[in-house]
Amino acid sequence: MEYILKNGIVYDPANNVAGEKKDVMFKDGKIVDNVSSDAKILDVTDKIVMPAGVDPHAHVAGPKLVTGRIYRPEDSRKGVTAKKGVCRSESGFSIPSCPATGYRYSRMGYGTVTEAAVPPLEAKHTHEEIMAIPNVDVTPLPLFGNNWFVLQYVKEGQIEEIAAFISSWLKIVKGYGIKIVNPCGSEAWGWGMNVHGIDDPAPYWDVTGREMVRALSQANEMLGLPHSIHVHPNDLGHPGNFPTTVSTMDCVKDVEKNSSVRNQTIHITHAQFHSYGGTSWRDAESGAGEVADYVNKNKHVTCDVGQVTLDETTTMTADAPMEYDLSRLNGLKWANKDIELETAAGLVPFIYSGKAPVSSLQWAIGLELFLKIEDPWQVCLTTDHPNAGPFIRYPRIISWLMSNQRRQEMMDNREVHPWSHKRTSLATLDREYDFNEIAIITRAAAAKIYGYQDRGELTPGYNADIAVYDLNPNDIDPSKEPAAIEQAFGNAMYTIKDGQILVKDGEVVQIKPSQTIWTNVQGYEEQEKMIMEKVMPTFNRYYTVKFENYKVHDHYLPNPIEVKVQASK
Amino acid sequence: MLNLKTITLTLKKKSQIALEFDELIPDNIYNWEKSDFEEYQVPVGNSRFPLTDYFDIDVDGTAESPEEVKMILDGDMGRVKYIGCKMGAGEIIVNGDADLHCGAEMIGGKITVNGDAESYAGREMKGGELTIMGNTREFCGCSYIGDWRGMSGGKITIQGNAGKQLGECLSGGEIYVKGDCDILAGIHMTKGFIQIDGNVTRWPGGQMKNGNILINGRLGTLLEGFVQDGVVTDPDIDGKAFSGKYIKYTGDIALNGKGGLYLNAEKNRDLL
Repeated sequence: MEYILKNGIVYDPANNVAGEKKDVMFKDGKIVDNVSSDAKILDVTDKIVMPAGVDPHAHVAGPKLVTGRIYRPEDSRKGVTAKKGVCRSESGFSIPSCPATGYRYSRMGYGTVTEAAVPPLEAKHTHEEIMAIPNVDVTPLPLFGNNWFVLQYVKEGQIEEIAAFISSWLKIVKGYGIKIVNPCGSEAWGWGMNVHGIDDPAPYWDVTGREMVRALSQANEMLGLPHSIHVHPNDLGHPGNFPTTVSTMDCVKDVEKNSSVRNQTIHITHAQFHSYGGTSWRDAESGAGEVADYVNKNKHVTCDVGQVTLDETTTMTADAPMEYDLSRLNGLKWANKDIELETAAGLVPFIYSGKAPVSSLQWAIGLELFLKIEDPWQVCLTTDHPNAGPFIRYPRIISWLMSNQRRQEMMDNREVHPWSHKRTSLATLDREYDFNEIAIITRAAAAKIYGYQDRGELTPGYNADIAVYDLNPNDIDPSKEPAAIEQAFGNAMYTIKDGQILVKDGEVVQIKPSQTIWTNVQGYEEQEKMIMEKVMPTFNRYYTVKFENYKVHDHYLPNPIEVKVQASK
Repeated sequence: MLNLKTITLTLKKKSQIALEFDELIPDNIYNWEKSDFEEYQVPVGNSRFPLTDYFDIDVDGTAESPEEVKMILDGDMGRVKYIGCKMGAGEIIVNGDADLHCGAEMIGGKITVNGDAESYAGREMKGGELTIMGNTREFCGCSYIGDWRGMSGGKITIQGNAGKQLGECLSGGEIYVKGDCDILAGIHMTKGFIQIDGNVTRWPGGQMKNGNILINGRLGTLLEGFVQDGVVTDPDIDGKAFSGKYIKYTGDIALNGKGGLYLNAEKNRDLL
């Protein structure tokens, strides 16, 4: 089937197309240069056309989500809809049901999302949930930052062993890259402790966060994985944590990049939660300036923000000690999910309120990062869904970024607490994103950071993943019409995935099974064989499952996208 | 109360599967004619069926606003859920039993159940009055499952007995039980007032942080987290005067709670 999207105003940052009126053509699911006269014409005259959105960090599938849904029925009752057309019924606000997750991303014009924390032991379950999410492709990132085998090889200084272990484990769990969460801290939680800062060693192992991050980064580059290490640094959410964040970014500065498909060697996730100054919540202030400054001066770093949206949400992360602290702080119910030998997660409901000083400060710090990081290719739009807010708020964040007037109005009208401008520099920042920059932070940059070679651009041969928004960029002043911006980015005129029209005029009109993107390292078979012989005695001794039941078998990925990379030194 | 329009629904067939009445509240139907009711399809399980399959309908008078409406539900409403759910004004009288969630999330107005009410009566109530002439069961005046925010306003009066976890997570308003009450009345409550005239089995006020519970009957078992402050005479609680002697406790100290628990001294001599 051939299509031609006619007369749209195209933003395709990867190809340096910024608001040109042109046609986009696709055939059999791929973007093409030209089509025959039989092509079906979709008239999108003067509407915004972009590649479909790419979300670089969210929590959408896996054991944490299930724990969250079980213990937060009061969240599930929000957002309940009856089945309609091709859609099943939906439920949930901050932890939507699996079908709702797919539909809601699709309605915003998104086509790909990263599930950013997969405990290897629960990878099977994660893949089962991915199967239940329609319409968006999912990239799972397994957790390695507190894994006993990695801790052991870091302690011994065996980088090649780590590389072999990662290479094997990505095959075993069908993962895409390396996620590190509070390195050594979640392991310390097994002892009822946490680590403070990047140089505080985990009990028993005597290994520090710095050593873990460096070793995993070296292993990542040894294998030449398409994505860099994806790091949630130590000290999340603690006032005065920005030096830890800067040290984390800096500790891999000398690690040489070994991949042509991306620019960075470290991706810092939800940087907002890691950009705090002060010493306690009494004197907390923004540390966004220092973090942004480091990012601006160093091209080996990329980040996503984790913008607070001022909603009632559910926090969930593989940083269990932080979640425990949070539950003591807000007094709400807490769930802990320990994963033997690998990691530990926690969950706490959280109400980010514009009336609360801390929530307002966090809101402002997130926006400061967006506005202070100069190169949009180094920063992506996320809410660390659902931690800082649900992903359905992306359109609202876009409206904030495009309108200084709206931001000032929120501060003037007390929609946010005065801490938002007294303890940050937000009120002095008048930068406004344009549509091209929005296209970068919501799709192009994320695709580049992940080294995707099939999406995020409207390049011939790439997947026909396209979003059309009902806005005429020559007609609208985003600075003055934030509500219209939010409405349009939340209800795509068309969402096209692999050439199929999934959304029309904000309604899901077609359901498509999602695909799972994983990395298969080639040329490391010898080392993998050796490492398996080495790890199996420990595995058999300590894991409560048999290895035969641990491995993710092929039928868990009915629609895989296998990214083959050639390992090289 | 001002009533210009009376809507009478008389049950003629009881459904095995519960009907859901949350759309039939005065706020929505004050200007409905008889023909509107006859056209209306009521939710039953996962389907909808004509209201006339189950009820004879009579509409008398006119109303300009929900306040002017009185709805009378005649017959056994034991399989009619969500009666008066989210209602903001007007009056509903149930001449029979009511099923689950009667008066849930009610904001204003008045509901009288001349029979028993099933569990979750007055759940998350914010205002208005709910009177149950018979008994009610579990989770009366509670929160939604999983939530920590329960009933926050209004008044529930139960002439008969109440079940388990009465007023769970209560954060305002008042619950008055004239009969007996089962375990854990006022669990997790943070504010508001519960009065129970009959006997209580066990554990009132578990994990309460604040608010007051007064028990005029005999208490079976007290929780360990309550510290006796002594006997008070004719206490004044939340602006209400009570006569007689009460043993006063503060708890639940497990949560550093400052809640007040008053037990009738005469009936609970053994605790002195």
